[in-house]
Amino acid sequence: MSDEVVLEELRAGLAAGGRLDDEQLRVLASTTDLFLLGTLADDVRRARHSEATTFVRVAKVPVQRPAWREIKGQAREIRVTGVPESPEEAEAAVRVVAGAGVPVTGFALHDLLAVSGGDTAALERSLTGLRAAGLSAVSELVVERTPNPEPAVSAVVAAGLAVARVTIHEACGDARLGCVRAVAGWSLPARAVWAFAPLPRADAAAEPGAELPTGYDDVRQVALARLLVDNIDSIQVDWALHGAKLAQVALMFGADDIDALPAVDTGKLGPRRTPLEEVRRNIRAASFVPVERDGCFEDVTR
Amino acid sequence: MTENPRGVDAVARKVSGGGRLNRAEALTLYEQASTHLLGRLAGEARACRHPSGIVTYIIDRNVNYTNVCVARCNFCAFYRPVGSDEGYVVGFDELFRKIDETIAVGGEQLLLQGGHNPDLPLEWYEDLFRAVKARYPSFRLHALSPPEIIHLSHLSQLDVPLIIRRLMDAGLDSIPGGGAEILVDRVRRELNCYSKASTDEWLSVMRDAHRAGLRTTVTMMYGTVEHLDERIEHLMRVRELQDETGGFTAFIAWSFQPSNTKRGGTEATGVEYLRTLALARLVLDNVENLQASWVTQGGKVGQLSLSYGANDMGSVMIEENVVRAAGATFCMDELEIVRNIENAGFIPKRRNMHYDVLGDPIVRQRDVPRMTTLAEARAAGDHSVPKELVQYRARTPAGKRARAPR
Ligand code: SF4
Repeated sequence: MSDEVVLEELRAGLAAGGRLDDEQLRVLASTTDLFLLGTLADDVRRARHSEATTFVRVAKVPVQRPAWREIKGQAREIRVTGVPESPEEAEAAVRVVAGAGVPVTGFALHDLLAVSGGDTAALERSLTGLRAAGLSAVSELVVERTPNPEPAVSAVVAAGLAVARVTIHEACGDARLGCVRAVAGWSLPARAVWAFAPLPRADAAAEPGAELPTGYDDVRQVALARLLVDNIDSIQVDWALHGAKLAQVALMFGADDIDALPAVDTGKLGPRRTPLEEVRRNIRAASFVPVERDGCFEDVTR
Repeated sequence: MTENPRGVDAVARKVSGGGRLNRAEALTLYEQASTHLLGRLAGEARACRHPSGIVTYIIDRNVNYTNVCVARCNFCAFYRPVGSDEGYVVGFDELFRKIDETIAVGGEQLLLQGGHNPDLPLEWYEDLFRAVKARYPSFRLHALSPPEIIHLSHLSQLDVPLIIRRLMDAGLDSIPGGGAEILVDRVRRELNCYSKASTDEWLSVMRDAHRAGLRTTVTMMYGTVEHLDERIEHLMRVRELQDETGGFTAFIAWSFQPSNTKRGGTEATGVEYLRTLALARLVLDNVENLQASWVTQGGKVGQLSLSYGANDMGSVMIEENVVRAAGATFCMDELEIVRNIENAGFIPKRRNMHYDVLGDPIVRQRDVPRMTTLAEARAAGDHSVPKELVQYRARTPAGKRARAPR
C-alpha cells in the first residue's frame, strides 16, 4: 500500500474519532516518514486548538527559599520547585509566593504523596491545605515515578486542584513510547490534567557524547503523543529544556503549548531579542498564532 | 517560461512532475506551502536524485588560517582588524600538526579559509600548499573562497584566472563556496560585503574556477536583510551558472549567526531553515548535493534536514572558528553523524569533496577517539607569530613591526 493510501486511511479513521490500532501504531512508531506522522498529528492538533499555540512565562521558586518580589511583574506562573520536607513546608512556601497575585503551581505529585505518608486520603488533605494556601495546580505528574496515578489524580481533583502537566523523566528507547501508551490508557476526569510533555526531561541534562534521542526520535515521540493521548488537551514542549529550535519544530508535529519561558529577561539573547519576542517569532514562523497564557492555562491577552 | 504566479497545488504538481520552478513559482511555494508539503516535495526530489538512500559525509578539518581581515563584513564575529592583539596566522608546523590529527581520525582533506590579511602575499599561500602536498601527497586542499581569491588578485595585481592557475599548480584541489552570503548587490551593500566581492565578481571567480577544471561548492547565508525574493534570486543565479558550467558539487545554506556581530539582531528560526533548504532542493534541480548545516542548526534540526532535501551531513569538521565566534558551538563526531544518518533511515557513507563514495564509516573499521567539542584554530592567549612569516613581505606597518627581528 502506498504511503498516500496509508495516510488517507489513517487520516479518515482519526477524523472519524477512531484510535490507532496496534498495527498502525507499530508502523508509525518506527517510520521515518515524517510527513505522514506530522500531517496526521497536525490534523489532530488543529482539530483541538486550531492555530493557537500557547506559551507561558514561568518564575521558578525553590520550596526552601520562597520569594517573589523581584520576579513579580513578568511571570504568568510561579512554580514552586524542589522536594518539600513536609506538607507544612510546602504550604508555607505557597503562601509566600501566592502574595504575587500570579497563579501558583508547584511540586511533583509523587513527592507530595511521599510527604503524605504514601496515603491517598492524607494526600487529599495536604492538597486541600495547599489549595487554601493559594496553589492553583500541582506542577507535574512524573510517569515513571507515579506507579498508581489514577487515585492520586482523583485526590488532586477532590481537593479542587488540577495537574498542570504529565512529564516523562528519563525513559529512553522503546520505554519512551511505553510511557505515552501508559498515559493514553489512564482514565482521567475531564480537565484533571492540562498538558502532557512527552520529551524526557533528563535528555537536556545529558553529558556531551551521550547517545541522546535524535531529532527524528523526538518529533516522532511528540507526534505519537498527540495521536494517542486524547485524555489530555495539550501537548507541551519546554522552551528552556529543549531549546527554541526543537520546541518550534515540535509545533509542526502536534505540540500546541510552550512551557517555561523565563520570566526574567537576563539579557543573554541581546538587547533586540527578548524571550517574549523570540517565542512569538518562532510560533509565527511555524505558521501558528501565539497566545500568552497563565499558569492555569487561561489566555492572559483577553 | 512565464513568470505568472500559480496556485500552490499547481506548482506542487509541476515540481512533482519534474518541472523547473521559475521565480514566481518558487515564491508561491515558500510563501504558501505548508512546511510538511515543502518537505515532502523536497524529499521526493532528493529520492529521485539519490535513490540508493545513501547519505554522505566527509571527515575533514575546517581550519581558518588567519582571522586578520580588512573586509569588515558587518555580519562577521570572527575577524580582527590589522594590528589587533587577537589577530593570528596559523604557522606551517601548526597546520601539519592539525593535518596529522585529521588523518588520525580518518580525514583526508582540509577546508582552509581565512580573513583577507594584507600581510599574507600570494607566495605564502603557494608555499603553504606546496609544503602540505610535499608532506601529504594524497591529502586534499579545499581552499580559499572567491572573495579570498579576489583579495589575492588585488594584492598581487594579477588577474583571477592566473591566481587560480598558480594556486592549482601549488596544490589547490577545489574551492569552497564561502562568501556568497546572498548573491544580490543590494543585500551585499547592506552587509558591507559588496567590496569584497559583488554578485557578478563572486560568480565570475566560480566560472573561472570551473573552466580551470576545479569543482566547487556554493553557499547561502540567509536571515539578515534580504527579502524572500532575494533569497530566491540567489538560488536562480546559482542555477544559471550551474547550467553553464556544471561545476558546483553541492549547495550549503545556513542562517546568519548574530551573536558578537556588529549587525546583531535575531537568528532565523529552525522551521525557516528547513523551509529554505527544501526550497533550495526544489529550485536547484541541477545541483546534485545539499548539505545539512548541523553546526548552525544543532544536531536535531540538522538530522531533520535529511527529510527536507539534504542528502549529505557535511563535515565531521574537527575544528571550527567562524560560526563559533558568533555563538554556534554544536559538535558531532563521526560516530554521532553515522548514528543520526542511520536513525533517519539512510545509509551512511564517507565521501571526498567530489562526492565520490570512499567507503563505510571509519568508526565501523577501527577505534577512533570520541570528539565531543570542536577544536579551535588557536588556544586563547596564544599570540605567537609563526617563524616562517618573516620570509614574507608585510604591507602594513603593524605587520612589518610583528615581523621585525627582535
Ligand atoms: S566574513 Fe570573511 S571576509 Fe568578511 S569580515 Fe569575516 S573574515 Fe573577513
